[in-house]
Amino acid sequence: MAAGVVWVALKGHPLGVTRHHCSVGGPMGMLRAVCPHGPPWYPRVRYGTPWVPIPSPHRSLRFHPRSAPSHSAGAMVVLRAGLCPGLTEEMIQLLRANNIRTVVDFVSSDLEDVAQSCSLSYKALVAVRRVLLAQFSAFPTNGADLYEELKSSTAILPTGNPSLDQLLDAGLYTGEVTELAGAPGSGKTQVCLSIAASVSLGLRQHVFFLDSTGGFTASRLYQMLQARVEDKEEQVESSAGPLKAVLIDSVSAVLSPLLGGRQSEGLAIMMQLARELKTLAKEFSVAVVVTNQVTRDSSTGALKSALGRSWSFVPSTRVLLQGRAVPWEDGAAPHTACLAKSPRQPTGMQVQLDIGSDAVQEQRPVTPTP
Amino acid sequence: MQRDVGSLPLSPALRARLLAAGFQTAQELLETGPCGLSKEIGISREEALEALQVVRQECAGDAAKTAGGSGSTRKCTALELLEEEQTQGFIITFCSALDNILGGGVQLTKITEICGAPGVGKTQLCMQLAVDVQIPECFGGVAGEAVFIDTEGSFMVDRAADIATACVRHCQLIAEAHQEEDHLQALETFSLESILSHIYYFRCRDYIELLAQVYLLPDFLSEHSKVRLVVIDGIAFPFRHDFEDLSLRTRLLNGLAQQLIIIANDHKSAVVLTNQMTTRFGQNQSMLVPALGESWGHAATVRLIFHWDNTQRLATLYKSPSQKESTIPYNITDKGDQNHSWYSRDLQIPALTSGLPRCAASTCHPKCRRY
Repeated sequence: MAAGVVWVALKGHPLGVTRHHCSVGGPMGMLRAVCPHGPPWYPRVRYGTPWVPIPSPHRSLRFHPRSAPSHSAGAMVVLRAGLCPGLTEEMIQLLRANNIRTVVDFVSSDLEDVAQSCSLSYKALVAVRRVLLAQFSAFPTNGADLYEELKSSTAILPTGNPSLDQLLDAGLYTGEVTELAGAPGSGKTQVCLSIAASVSLGLRQHVFFLDSTGGFTASRLYQMLQARVEDKEEQVESSAGPLKAVLIDSVSAVLSPLLGGRQSEGLAIMMQLARELKTLAKEFSVAVVVTNQVTRDSSTGALKSALGRSWSFVPSTRVLLQGRAVPWEDGAAPHTACLAKSPRQPTGMQVQLDIGSDAVQEQRPVTPTP
Repeated sequence: MQRDVGSLPLSPALRARLLAAGFQTAQELLETGPCGLSKEIGISREEALEALQVVRQECAGDAAKTAGGSGSTRKCTALELLEEEQTQGFIITFCSALDNILGGGVQLTKITEICGAPGVGKTQLCMQLAVDVQIPECFGGVAGEAVFIDTEGSFMVDRAADIATACVRHCQLIAEAHQEEDHLQALETFSLESILSHIYYFRCRDYIELLAQVYLLPDFLSEHSKVRLVVIDGIAFPFRHDFEDLSLRTRLLNGLAQQLIIIANDHKSAVVLTNQMTTRFGQNQSMLVPALGESWGHAATVRLIFHWDNTQRLATLYKSPSQKESTIPYNITDKGDQNHSWYSRDLQIPALTSGLPRCAASTCHPKCRRY
């Protein structure tokens, strides 16, 4: 490991600390899969390590269509004929007779004993084990390669709002999930529309907007686009690039009816959604923006994002938007955005946002990314 | 076919067993077959058969959706939405200033919430809207019917009759001024009886009845497809008194909000809700805020707050996706012989597009485009 950094893929449990399904690369490159029913293993990783793209060098050996390692829930897979070359039906029957049913059992058992008791060739077993390990475990990448890959695949999308860009350290990073939380009327939908306008107009790329609140107004988007296009002749037919931004407004509107009470599935569904979003962001190199509601903390009275602590580990960046509490009373306290969680900037940074209701009159210049 | 086992609609115990046995996608389940499944998990063959049936149905449904069938999630481009919005009408409120800050009136397919202290005029506006939604298209209306769900018992039929009479009279004045064929034709069907007969009134006494009514509403709306407005007068009332479990209340309200969004979108109707006000204690002062908590604030797309300033009633647009925040004064008037039942005296009518003569009523809504 030349760069001295070992990144660990934490699979299956987005909370970041896991006792199950974790593979750690040791110094000799040996991989050890941990059985979830065995003793717990707490790898020494920094909390909140992001997902690692898993560039398996043995891509050609992957025969089973679903065995993308980032999707598999570890090695809890039943041994089946055709899982890899060399694993025949009779082999499976013999292994099953010796109580080896899953990949984990196979990989963690002593092959010499297995060869003796099942009367199978040791070489064949070793070959099968190598293939299974390649398919089902994660490979450690060294930091330098990871950095190179991130540099080539990550893009920074401007949000269309210069102060928000400053807060987010130049914009939205692809491969990450960003959350915008705020009270009703604080401007979340407006910020989402402005991101959609700036990405589709400025970068000429597709934007996927998933609306679960009914707040998407096409005429407002049209207003914003008109304000950004300074030169009407610029509206030329251009081929749009690939999808780079996925906006979900809002994720709590559909998840909060499922949480709480005696329903046991709400949390599982929420975590499944979280996993899908993170995988989407990482594998397809898109920036995922979600909108969340706020609830009032019962003890301090402060506003915090909804959906609880489990959801708070999902986005890597969280911005809290605030509008005016009582609009007809004193002064025009403008909309502000406060950074609640970020991997790059100090938290607690606060900027003023200009939601820009007179967007038709004012000409908003295209911002150069700093 | 690559669908995760965790997302299939099976019972949680069965799902846990499947995951423990190592099944991950729906395809693996289907490949194993009922006998293999029952042996591996330890359930009876019938249960395995049932489970596989469910899985097969789900996969067939998914295939139909991806093949372009219209599922419950609607996919379209922003340009298509823009074209739809531009052809959509608004429900006018007969108060020109209010319609201006709303961008033309109450928008269809959106949820509008009206909050205010008692006596400020929320039910009046709801009754006005229930009448205005029925204005024929040649007069600038949407020609739809209305559903009125009342939880507080504040719907007064005689007041609705007054409003309807004033509205009919207003349309008659327009028709007299312009003597066009379609106006006179529309007027024949637009009378007090027809207006009142197209307001469908439901009375709900507690939150269970209200929830049941809202969840049954899609069936009602598919029978009466001309409904363009659903009013729920008093959504706070059944949820505020006698409710011990606050987290249950939040969940019920969130589910209700989603159901209303579905109704608004599928049937292209406007949903109008009225809410009460409650006091919140800040650091050093207390203020009046809409009731039902923070999470309910996200249910409505447009929020109007009515409040008093000494003796003047004011309306503030607090939350809107396309209009900016503003406050206007308004009045509620009795019916008069030539006046409308509700109009604003304090703001000027925006500039008229052509030099057509004004009608006898001194202030008239610009949406009646003959003026």
